[in-house]
Amino acid sequence: MSIDVKDLSFRYGRIVALDGVTVSLGEGAVGLLGPNGAGKSTLLRILLGFIVPERGGGKVLDFDIRRDQDMIRRSVGYMPESDCFVAGMDAVTFTSYFGELSGMPRQEAMKRAHEVLFYVGLGEARYRLLDTYSAGMKQRLKLAQALVHDPKVLFLDEPTSNLDPTGRNEVLELIRDVSRNKGIQVLLSSHILADIESICGSVVILNKGRVAAEGRMADLRAIAYSLYEVRVKGDGEAFRKDLESRGCKVDETEDRLIKVYMPEGADRMDIFRAAARTGVQLRYFVKSRTSLEDLFAGVVGVD
Amino acid sequence: MATIREKGYAHWDGALAERRFPGWPITRTGIQLAFRRKMFRFFFAGAFLPAFVALGGLYVSERLEDFKALVQSNRDLIRIDPKYFAGFMTNTAVLFSLVFILVFAAAGLIADDLKHNSLQLYFSRPLRKKDYLLGKMSVVAFFVLVLTAVPWLLLVVFKLIFAGSFQFFLEYPWLPLSILGYSALLTVFFAFYVLLLSALSKSTRYVIILIWTTYLFSDALSGILFETFRQPAMILFSIRANLQQAGAFLFGQRLPHPVPAVWSFAVLAGICLLSVFVLNRKTRGVEVIK
Repeated sequence: MSIDVKDLSFRYGRIVALDGVTVSLGEGAVGLLGPNGAGKSTLLRILLGFIVPERGGGKVLDFDIRRDQDMIRRSVGYMPESDCFVAGMDAVTFTSYFGELSGMPRQEAMKRAHEVLFYVGLGEARYRLLDTYSAGMKQRLKLAQALVHDPKVLFLDEPTSNLDPTGRNEVLELIRDVSRNKGIQVLLSSHILADIESICGSVVILNKGRVAAEGRMADLRAIAYSLYEVRVKGDGEAFRKDLESRGCKVDETEDRLIKVYMPEGADRMDIFRAAARTGVQLRYFVKSRTSLEDLFAGVVGVD
Repeated sequence: MATIREKGYAHWDGALAERRFPGWPITRTGIQLAFRRKMFRFFFAGAFLPAFVALGGLYVSERLEDFKALVQSNRDLIRIDPKYFAGFMTNTAVLFSLVFILVFAAAGLIADDLKHNSLQLYFSRPLRKKDYLLGKMSVVAFFVLVLTAVPWLLLVVFKLIFAGSFQFFLEYPWLPLSILGYSALLTVFFAFYVLLLSALSKSTRYVIILIWTTYLFSDALSGILFETFRQPAMILFSIRANLQQAGAFLFGQRLPHPVPAVWSFAVLAGICLLSVFVLNRKTRGVEVIK
């Protein structure tokens, strides 16, 4: 496993950000999913050594997160969530500057900066001052500086935030290419389900600082629970309460479609039995293919 | 905007090296960024004016016969001894011009990084806090040393060249050490002082105002307190007076104020310690509010 952490815990004052997080992340692209405040960024920051965990430990590429921070930072490229640049610089200077700070020789860093800027689509704008860059260009620039020293692992924190749909697709395409064709492992932290679903082979869902679900996307969809979509005629509220009392999670969409997340091992006949008990008529019953959104709703809940 | 992947991504086959001074790219880039501004280059050149005036004095002092008319009653002014060097180096205008240059070159060193959230980029590299701060301090050190130690040591050399003998050096063999010592004091103090204020705000403009107001206000405050209490110790409130006091001590001159020089050193050291405390708190990869 390239990233392996055990029992990681961290608090911001009284607020628990991570509470005993234990995960093992393998090769390829891994999604770190969770609502705002779930602890995704905190986990990335601990892995990079920005903050020291109160409890627990772990390894990134066999380097200890408490002792070998320099080695981890040499092997990892980090793309932060917020806009960040150095005022007064152009993109080439900026990218080669961070290449040098990673330990690259100056000339190599400069050469490599040109290459990665072309790769991320900023080739034509590489001599423009960063102060004049648009939000989309700044996102690409952050990706370029993360790639300049050819890291083995990329930590991407909300890489598509503040982007229009076209820019978002382009950045996602880059990340997909990096993870699938260039042999760089990607840890993609996001609260945008579609981003993770389109790129990652496996996912870790964090909620309130704990791991709510973890594993390969396909396995999670199949094993964790079954999702049924139901429409009823009659007292829907009593039907819902009956199902919930039997461990099912039930959500209702605006057009009165009831989504029933059945726990592992539950029998779909329970839905019919609940309908019989509460005297409602089932007018529609479909076993749904679970999307990541459903998985997320199943383990975290839906607003 | 150009299409993505005009050129493919290729792995880099070099090896990442561990530098003896990991903050060197920060220093080099900080200096380069300062010199990119035309206005700065103009003022920077102007900051050498006192050294050129001193050079003129050195030349005249060796050619008294040629400049009889000019120096009839002012021979004392161009007597070349440690007092001559101390007089220039601790001069109020020289210190003022030094602060002026640092305001241009160094006010944004940390403030800009705070404003643009770039600290997390620095600290996601194999760079420790001390490497980052040493890299930034070295920018200040470069400008202070280039404006103090370099010209004034050169002036000692010029004095020997103009005199055509080593007599001056044999009379005052410790003078180069005094110049180096005072330059080092200015370097260390201004590095901590400017970075302390640069770390207090995300706006370079506020930092510039802070640098000027603390430097000038400390002087004004010391004057007001002295007038009020008539105690010489009140000069300790003035940054300028403390630097001049320490300078006079290092050049072996009579102290300009009747206060032990060690007190001035203590005040300057106190400001540096405060700076260490603030810099340690403000420079982090991520702001952790507990």
